[in-house]
Amino acid sequence: MRRASILVHGFLLAATLPAALAQESVLMRALRDELARSMEKLQLAESEKPYFISYSVRDSSRVQVTAALGAVISRREGPQRLLSVEVRVGAPDFDNTNFLGEPDFRSALARASFPTPLPLEDDYGELRRKIWLATDNSYKQALDHLAKKRAALQNQTRVEEVPDFSAAEPYRSDGDVGSPELDGSLVEELARDVSGVFRDTPHIFVSEVRATSLFETISYVNSEGTSFVRESPLVSVRITAGTQAEDGTPLEDAITTYARSARVLPPKSELSEIARGLASRLQELRDAEVVDRFNGPVLFEGQAAAELVRRVLVPRLLAARVPVAGSSRFSRVLDDAANPFQDKLGARVLPRFLSVVDDPTLDQFDSTPLMGGYAVDDEGIQTRETALVERGILKALLATRNPVPDIPESTGNRRGSGPAPSNLVVVSRNGLEADELRAELLSLVNERELEYGIIVRRIGGSLGRIARSRGSGGSRRSRGGTQIGAVVAYKVFPDGREELIRQSALMGISESNFRDIVAASDAATVHTRTHSPPRGFSSFGPLPGFGGSPLISLVVPSLLFEDITVRRSPDNIPHPPVVSHPLAVE
Amino acid sequence: MPGRSERADCYNELPFLTAVRIRVLKMTPARFVPALWIGSVAVMLAIASQAFAAAPVLDAMRQELDRSFQVLSKQPTPAYFLSYEVIEERVTVVQASFGAVTATSTIENRTLDIDLRVGDHNLDNTHPLRERFGFIRPSPIATPIADLDALRSTLWFQTDRKYKDAVEQLTKVKTDVQVKVQEEDQAPDFSAEEPETFMGDLVSLEVDRPGWVAKLKRYSAPFASSDSIYSNQATLGFAVTTRWYVNSEGAAIRTAEPRTRLSVFAMTKAEDGMELPRFESFFAFDPNDLPGDDTVLETVKQMVSDLDALRMAPVADPYTGPAILSGRASGVFFHEILGHRVEGHRQRSDQDAQTFKEMLGESVLPETFSVVFDPTRKRVGATDLSGAYAFDNQGVRARRVEVIADGVLREFLMSRTPIPGFSRSNGHGRKQPGFAPVSRQSNLLVEVAEPLSGEALKQMLLSRLEEEGKEYGLYFEDVQGGFTFTSRGIPNAFNVMPVMVYRIYTDGREELVRGVDLIGTPLTTFSKIAAGSDEIGVFNGTCGAESGGVPVSAVSPSVLVSQIEVQRKEKSQDRLPLLPAPAAPAAVPSSIQAWEGDSIR
Repeated sequence: MRRASILVHGFLLAATLPAALAQESVLMRALRDELARSMEKLQLAESEKPYFISYSVRDSSRVQVTAALGAVISRREGPQRLLSVEVRVGAPDFDNTNFLGEPDFRSALARASFPTPLPLEDDYGELRRKIWLATDNSYKQALDHLAKKRAALQNQTRVEEVPDFSAAEPYRSDGDVGSPELDGSLVEELARDVSGVFRDTPHIFVSEVRATSLFETISYVNSEGTSFVRESPLVSVRITAGTQAEDGTPLEDAITTYARSARVLPPKSELSEIARGLASRLQELRDAEVVDRFNGPVLFEGQAAAELVRRVLVPRLLAARVPVAGSSRFSRVLDDAANPFQDKLGARVLPRFLSVVDDPTLDQFDSTPLMGGYAVDDEGIQTRETALVERGILKALLATRNPVPDIPESTGNRRGSGPAPSNLVVVSRNGLEADELRAELLSLVNERELEYGIIVRRIGGSLGRIARSRGSGGSRRSRGGTQIGAVVAYKVFPDGREELIRQSALMGISESNFRDIVAASDAATVHTRTHSPPRGFSSFGPLPGFGGSPLISLVVPSLLFEDITVRRSPDNIPHPPVVSHPLAVE
Repeated sequence: MPGRSERADCYNELPFLTAVRIRVLKMTPARFVPALWIGSVAVMLAIASQAFAAAPVLDAMRQELDRSFQVLSKQPTPAYFLSYEVIEERVTVVQASFGAVTATSTIENRTLDIDLRVGDHNLDNTHPLRERFGFIRPSPIATPIADLDALRSTLWFQTDRKYKDAVEQLTKVKTDVQVKVQEEDQAPDFSAEEPETFMGDLVSLEVDRPGWVAKLKRYSAPFASSDSIYSNQATLGFAVTTRWYVNSEGAAIRTAEPRTRLSVFAMTKAEDGMELPRFESFFAFDPNDLPGDDTVLETVKQMVSDLDALRMAPVADPYTGPAILSGRASGVFFHEILGHRVEGHRQRSDQDAQTFKEMLGESVLPETFSVVFDPTRKRVGATDLSGAYAFDNQGVRARRVEVIADGVLREFLMSRTPIPGFSRSNGHGRKQPGFAPVSRQSNLLVEVAEPLSGEALKQMLLSRLEEEGKEYGLYFEDVQGGFTFTSRGIPNAFNVMPVMVYRIYTDGREELVRGVDLIGTPLTTFSKIAAGSDEIGVFNGTCGAESGGVPVSAVSPSVLVSQIEVQRKEKSQDRLPLLPAPAAPAAVPSSIQAWEGDSIR
C-alpha cells in the first residue's frame, strides 16, 4: 500500500513539475527565486514592504549596417541583456508611481530608472546577484518616491481619486524559445546593394540605407503569478534620400520596410525598386510647381491617409495619466500631458460611417502582414480587440495598468514606456470605390467654385540631412494644430488632369478635422511604422522606456476631408550647392 | 548664471559604461553635455616607406578637395583653407562581471571632419566669439570609403554645407570684432605650416575574441568571492584606427594604429554608504603586448584585498601638510595643475585665467624639475604610452616639446592657432572625431635631475613632519583621475581623486584611509613641490576637454610636496543592500531528476 501511494505521488510530480520546470530557463528561475525572496523579506526598518514586483528582461541580438552608394559606413553587432525592475510600495489605490519629482542624479537610486545589464550567459549565481542589487535599488527609490508624493499632496485635496494600479488576472505562458537567426553578411549585403541604386542618380545629394536584423526576447515575471516569454524577430531596411530643387528647396524622404524574418522580407530587387522609386519621385518633385495657399477639399489616399491618422489621431487614442507634480515647476509641463479625448468618451469624434478598432491578434490584412500584433503586452495582459470608436462615437482609449478617469482597466496595450496601438484598423461602412471618391472630391471642388482640389498620396519622413532648420518635413506643433511637411500632393482639375506640387505643407491639422471627413474608400492600405509616444509625458511608470519604439500597423481607407489648408512650406530655403556634384560633371 | 567655466577632466576610464564611454567635456555650474568617446588620434605603429605610394582613398580625397577648393576659393567670400580628415575605427569590446560575460560587441565606424576657413590667416570664421556661452556638440559625418565615388559624393555635399556655415560664421566674427572692445591678444587665427606627406602601413590586426572572453571571465571571477563587492567589470577594448588627412596646402597623410586597453574595475561600499572603487588598467598598442595572466590575476588579488581594507579604513579628516604622491598620482597631478595650463589656445581666450601667459622664462618649479610633452615617445620601460602619435589632427608632425626646462617655463603646447610669441604649431592640435582640434596634451613626462631613492623621499617627509610638529603626512598611492577649471569665471582649483591614500606617521607606520580628495590652486601648489624620486609611474588615460576625448599619458617619478590640502569626498547617502547576497544556487534541477527516476522504478 505504502509503495503504491509513493508511486502515485511520484508519478503525479513527474507529470506536472518537470513539465513546468524543465522548460524554464536559468534566467526565469533566477528571476522567480529573487522575486520570491524579495516579496517575502525585502523591507527597510519600519517602512512598507513592496506590494508588487515585476522583472522584465530584454535579450536582444542585433546586427545593423549602414551604407551609402554601395559602401558600408558603419556596422554594429552585439547582444544585450537588460533587466528592468518595477517595485511598488503603498497600495494599488495610492503607490509610489505617477509621481514626477525632481531628478536626483547624485543618488545611486537614480540608477533604478535605467535598465541593469545582466550576464549574457545563463550563470544562475551571477544573474541572482545583479537582480538582487537592482531590486534593492528600485525598492529604495520606490520608498523615496512614495514619501515625496505623500508630501506633495499633504496640503491639497485631490478632486479625482484615480488608483495608481489596476487589477489584472495572472497570466502564464512559457512561450516558445527560439534562437536568433541573424545573418550579418546578409544584412550587410542588403545595405550595400540597395544603397548602390543611388549611384545612378546624381540628382540625389545624400542617400543612405540602414539594414537591421534584431531578435528580441522578453522574459517577464511578476509577484501576481504572471510570467511569459515573448519573442519578436524583426528585419528592417530604411532607405533615405534627399536633394534640393533648382531654387534650393530641400526635398527628402525615408521609407522603411519591415518583416518578421529575412525570409519574408521583400527580395533585394523589390527593395532596390523602392529606392529607385524614391529617387525618381524626388526628381519629379524638383521640377514641380509650388502652391502658395489652398483652402478646400483634400483627399488623402493610401499611405497618406494612414500616416495622417498615425500623426494626428493616434496620440488622442491613448490614455495619458497625468502624474502628481513634485514641484510647481513641473505643473505647466504636466498641463500639456493631458489628452483632451479623455473628456470625450461618448462624444462623436469621427463621422458615423467610420469605426476604429485596435487588434493585436491580427497578423494580416488581405494577405498583407500586420506587424503590430503580440500575444501578451509588456505588463503580462493577454491581448484582445479594443473597439475605440464605434460609428463615430469614442468608446475607449488604449490603456495600460496605469488607470485614467473612466478607464479603470488595461486594454493590454502597454508597449514600452506607455500605451501604444498594436494593429489599428479604421473601418468604413459603405466605403466608396476609388473613382467614386475622386468624383466626390471634384463635386466638392465644383460646389466651392475652386479651380482644383488636392490629392495627397504620401506623407514622407525626413531626417533633416538637407535642410538645416529643424523639423522641416516632420510634424510640428503650431497654433491650432499640427503642421505636416514633406507631402507628395497633386492638384486635380475638374477635367481629371493632375499636376504634382512641391514643398507643400498641411497647416493646422488637429483631431477635430477628423469629425468632418466627408467620405472614405472601401479599400484600405496597410502602413507600418514605429510608434513615437505623444509629446509631453505619456507615462510615468517605473518601467523605463523599455523596448524602444514598438512597431504599429495601421489599416486605413482613403479619406476625403472637406476643408484643409495646404500651403507652401513656411520654412526658409537653403541655397543650392555652390560646386556641382562630383559624379554629375564627369 | 555666472560665467562659463572650462573644466578639463582626466580619467583613467569611466568604469560604469561598456561599449560607449561618456565623458564630461565642458561644464557650467548648472549643466553639462556628455559626448561619445571614440578614441581619435592616430599613431604610426609601423613606420612605412615615406614615399607617396598609391593610396586610392587619399587620391580621391585630394581630387575632390581640389575640385571644391578651386570653386570655393573664387566665391565672393573665398575659402582660403580646406582640409579633410577621414577616420575609420574598428572596435571590439568584451566585458565580464564576476566571472560571467556581460557584453561582446563589434563596431565599425567611418567619419569625416572638415576644416574649412574663409577670411584669411589673420581673421577667419574660427575666431572665437567673446562672451558666448554654449557647448560644443560633436558632429562627425558618416562617410563611406570602400567606394571612391561614394566617398567623393559625401565630401562634395558636406563641404558645401561647411562652406555655408563658414560664411555665416565669418559675418558674426567680423561683427563681434567691431562691436566689442579691442581684444587683449591680437594673434592671427591660423598658422602657416609646411605640408607633410606620409603613408603609413595599414593594420590588419584582429583580436582573439573567444580567447579574451575566457580571460576576462578568469580576471573577474575572484571578485565573486566577496559578498561586499557590489560592482565589477573586466573589460577589453581593442580598436584599430586608420586616418586619412589631406589639406589645400598639399598635405597628404595616412596613418593606422591598433590600441588595446584591459581594465578591471570593482566597487565596494562602506557601512556609511561611501562608495569605494578600485580601478586598474593595462594599455598596449598590440594586444599581444599586454601583461600575462599571472600579472593580471596578481593585480586582481591585490584589488580584492584593497577593497576589503578600504571598507574597514577610517575616514580621513581634512588636512594640510606634506605628502608624497606616487608616480601615477603625480602624473595626474601634473596633468591637471600644469598640463591644462600650458595648452596654447588657453592663453588666447579672454575668458581663460591664463595662469602662465606672462611667466615665460620664469622659474615655476625647482630647478631639478623638467616637464616634457613627447608624442614621439612610444614607451617607457615596458609600458606603451597612449599619448603617442606621429601627426596631429591638423596634419602637423608630432614634436617633443620641452615646456619646463630646469624649472623654467619655456614653451606652450601649440596647435595651428597661434598666440603672441608662438606663431607655429608644435604638433599638439588634437581632437576626437566630430570636434574641432585645439592644443592638447600628449605624453607628459616629468623628469628630475637629481632623483632621490624612494626611501630617501620618505625620510624627507618624516623629517618635515618633525619640523612642523605634524602627527602624520599623507601618501597617495593610486588615483582614479582628476579635473581642473581654467577659466576666469570660477576659482582655478584642481581636484585629484585618490583611491588609495595612507597616513604616514612620524614613526614610519602607514595606515590606509578613505574619503578625501586632493585639492589646491595651481601656483601655490607649484611652489610647494620639493623633490622627486627615481621610482617612475605611468598613467595611461583619456583626457576630456573642448575638443573631445583624446588618449594621453602622464609619466612621473614620485614627488614630495611640502604642503597639500585634502577635502572630504562627496559621498553617497544610500544604504547598503538590505538583503544579504543571494545564497549559492540550491540543487533544484538534480532533485527533479531523482524524483523522476524513483517513479519509474
